[in-house]
Amino acid sequence: MTAIRRQDRAGYLFLLPWFGGMLFMIVPFFASLYLAFTDYDLLTAPTWAGLDNFRRMFDDAKLHQSLKVTITYTVVSVPLSLIVALAVAMVLDRGVRGLAIYRSVYYLPSLLAGSVAIVMLWRYIFGYNGIVNDFLAWFGIQGPGWASDPRYALSTLILLHVWTFGSPMVIFLAGLRQIPAMYYEAASMDGASGWRQFRSITLPLLSPIIFFNLVQALIASFQTFTQGYVISNGTGGPGESTLFYNLYLYQKGFAEFDMGYASAMAWLLLVIIAGFTAVNFLAARFWVFYDN
Amino acid sequence: MTLTMTRETSVEPPADQPPPKRCRPRFMRHVLLSAVGVIMMYPLLWMISSSLKPSNTVFTDESLWPAVLDLGNYSRGWTALSEPFEIYLVNSLVIVVLSIVGNLLSCSLAAYAFARLRFTGRKLFFAMMLGTMMLPGHVLVVPQYVMFDRLEWLNTYYPLLVPHFLATNGFYIFLMVQFMRSLPQELDDAARIDGCGPFRTFWKVIMPLCLPAFATTAIFTFISVWNEFFGPLLYLTDPELYTVPLALRQFMDSEGQSQWGEMFAMSFLSLAPVIGFFIAGQKYLVKGIATTGLR
Amino acid sequence: MNTIGTTVGPTRRHLLTLAGLAATAATLPGCGRGFGGGDDDDGRIEINMVWWGDAQRAEFTQKSLDLFQTANPGIRVRTEYQDSSPYKDKLAARFAAGDPPDLMAMRFDSLREYADRGTLLDLAKHAGALDLTGLTEPARALGQVGPQIFGVPSGLNTISFVVDKAITDRYGVSIPDGDTWTWADLSEFAAAVTKASGGKVYGANFEPWTVANLLVFARQRGEDFFTADGRLGATAGTITAWFELTEGLRAAKAFPPAGFIDQNNGASPAQSYLAKKSIASQIIPSNNLLGYNQACGGNLVMLRIPGETARRGQSIDTPALWSIAATSKHPDETLKLLNFLINDVEAARVAGATRGVPPNRKIAEQIAPDLDADNKRATEFLTALQNEKLPPSYPYPVGASKLTNILKTISTEVEFGRLKPAAAGERFITEARKEING
Repeated sequence: MTAIRRQDRAGYLFLLPWFGGMLFMIVPFFASLYLAFTDYDLLTAPTWAGLDNFRRMFDDAKLHQSLKVTITYTVVSVPLSLIVALAVAMVLDRGVRGLAIYRSVYYLPSLLAGSVAIVMLWRYIFGYNGIVNDFLAWFGIQGPGWASDPRYALSTLILLHVWTFGSPMVIFLAGLRQIPAMYYEAASMDGASGWRQFRSITLPLLSPIIFFNLVQALIASFQTFTQGYVISNGTGGPGESTLFYNLYLYQKGFAEFDMGYASAMAWLLLVIIAGFTAVNFLAARFWVFYDN
Repeated sequence: MTLTMTRETSVEPPADQPPPKRCRPRFMRHVLLSAVGVIMMYPLLWMISSSLKPSNTVFTDESLWPAVLDLGNYSRGWTALSEPFEIYLVNSLVIVVLSIVGNLLSCSLAAYAFARLRFTGRKLFFAMMLGTMMLPGHVLVVPQYVMFDRLEWLNTYYPLLVPHFLATNGFYIFLMVQFMRSLPQELDDAARIDGCGPFRTFWKVIMPLCLPAFATTAIFTFISVWNEFFGPLLYLTDPELYTVPLALRQFMDSEGQSQWGEMFAMSFLSLAPVIGFFIAGQKYLVKGIATTGLR
Repeated sequence: MNTIGTTVGPTRRHLLTLAGLAATAATLPGCGRGFGGGDDDDGRIEINMVWWGDAQRAEFTQKSLDLFQTANPGIRVRTEYQDSSPYKDKLAARFAAGDPPDLMAMRFDSLREYADRGTLLDLAKHAGALDLTGLTEPARALGQVGPQIFGVPSGLNTISFVVDKAITDRYGVSIPDGDTWTWADLSEFAAAVTKASGGKVYGANFEPWTVANLLVFARQRGEDFFTADGRLGATAGTITAWFELTEGLRAAKAFPPAGFIDQNNGASPAQSYLAKKSIASQIIPSNNLLGYNQACGGNLVMLRIPGETARRGQSIDTPALWSIAATSKHPDETLKLLNFLINDVEAARVAGATRGVPPNRKIAEQIAPDLDADNKRATEFLTALQNEKLPPSYPYPVGASKLTNILKTISTEVEFGRLKPAAAGERFITEARKEING
């Protein structure tokens, strides 16, 4: 009994800063939850509106479009960028000379992503008269405006996202170094192939980190804002092809002075993300291995 | 798979001893890695090139080698705003360094509790921690602004710093939790047998082995805080308190004449600390168990 | 387990380094800033003035503020500026949190969002402190909502068509007479440029989704896009005609093909397709002539909007209004500052044309000789228009920003041939009516 209580006390002691942080978080959280049930235009006091905001969501075509964009983006870009990041991390982890240089270079896009300069460069590469189309012109093909054509804009954004695989890569690299090298030595002595080593040593021992990257990427991807914002100047254009959920939420809240609705949208997103995350945590029981 | 740790097993990092086998595939690998590297480098090269072009040809002169060189972007950019640029660099550095310290301390404490201690409410608190990552920040802007206004923290760095000391960023806690959970449980058991309490175990056993996670946290914190725009935009009003991203945005007005050349020059300069920090910090990324070894 | 101690070394050292760094950071000379304290309370009344723009505009603005503070030693003006898009977010957040600035630049299309919700001071009630008699009737109308006045134009502008004469000369195409040309003339002229250049340069482009352009077109057809009482006055027929016009230009190769123009390219002169020489003419706000001419090589010719012969569509507009918060703690001092900015010759002279032509006509005439060539040309262009009888421009009604988004989406659908102009007109009116009163 006392042992348990001592464990409790230690746990709470370690969490002390975090409890303090929660005080900071809880006030705005509950404020936004309250606002979700009000009609709030930012400039005059909110008025209670019950479930109105949530009801309006059913026939808001733009909201449905933004969910479609966000889910498409998430489903495609999350696995893609994680696979690329893991593959590159594996290559870089295994005896490449100049590792530090490659690692830094491959991380550069993540340092730059979201900066104004990159967005301009991006247009210049994927524009109607951009580098990609110049390249295609050699083969007599007139390519579309990859960023200005609603059919291609989202794919172009996904490519931009995959290109910034540096962050998960860094985490994978750190995780790979947590795997005691003696396992590989033992496996090599037993004559296990590279692929077998990957399957039976790397994957299971890296699984907590893969799991982290997956959950983290999902949460971040559902909340994609900056990329969509800087690429389309906050419009979600061309058409509504890059109208991310958070971008639409921002438009509602700040451009259209409909913060009540935006708050309701935020809580809907929280529920959606929490659902996806919960599924991941349940699934993790079958493939993530901890040493306890 | 059981862990058999013998104190004699000395473990060398694989990176230090590449197997001296066939040379061709390794050469090919370098060619491939370098080719991809060029694609990754291109934006930086483009930014450097743009920083050397006069403002009105930045977008019309599309070659990587500027037709007209304009080194003056750097000197003009440094002094073009209401404060000399070093003010913004120093402001950003102060915020970044303190944020890193705050994040490392507060998040590692919380992560240790979640990863290695058993206490009532652990799962609930962990779920809450993840939950805080899931609500879009835009709807928190107004309540937070009101809160910081009440605290009389507007136009100070407190709204930007204090949250970092209070482990409000679930991302880093979660990251460290995953790293700590992947460490062998035997470590704690051995420490307990040696008579270590939770704090000593945390400080002497877990912390040293989580260096890669701390390096990752430090690097990511550096980048995200260094680039953060919206928070400083909202909470800072005096130009002498501005951070680098706020200053950079002052070079441009999306509807007017912008000092593009100057902006690119200063953007490039302000990348230097981030790149420097990454290069300095990255060697700790690989100081995991594999390198430090369990002797 | 005592050997673990050997691996602790590096960590502890690093922690110490970190702690050292933190301590250094906090004690660096001058780094006390940002940690509270140091309020320079010198007994002066402080007013907070915010606006959007870049560092150059800041320099000019600061000059007029210096003059004001010298003349009024009891008042200190604390300014802040941002790029226009973060500016409007911060402004909204500050109002929402009950901490608005005293004097602020207000977007023409958001004036009523703020005014109709009672957050702005009615300037008509303070005619004694704020003298607006120097402004023409259309200039005053820009900030007027019924009998109340919520904003004063910080400068005046209008939209205009600029043509790069260097390009037309190279391909031997003559520029039509800008005072009398029609939309058909534009099509013919632009198509000729495209043809003569072998498709290297497209003759013209302007954004179908820019409400300011559509406003002029609607007036030429006798309709107010937004009426004085804040309703949608345009008909589906006008929207359809607008898209028929732009798609007709595209079909005639006067406009570049679909997808050529990136609607999010960025609106600054240096980024424009005109500066890249991929088009020969476009619509710009008249006060941006200087910037565009610098970016394009100095050969821009300024024309009126086509189709102005039968019924006038062009109007006097403003890049930004000045407004005062209703809850300002120092309304008198703020009014004094605003009055100074509008009616003081020297203040206007040092500020130049950064916000367009000064709204006070007399002052505009007085400072005109000091302006550089391009600004002078833009000023003359506007003055000539001011002398004619033009239809007034009214503040956009609440909800107008939603219309901009609808128009943008529909424009893309039309551009890529997924929606016919006739259907686009109907769809726009249906969707717009849902957002604001028709």
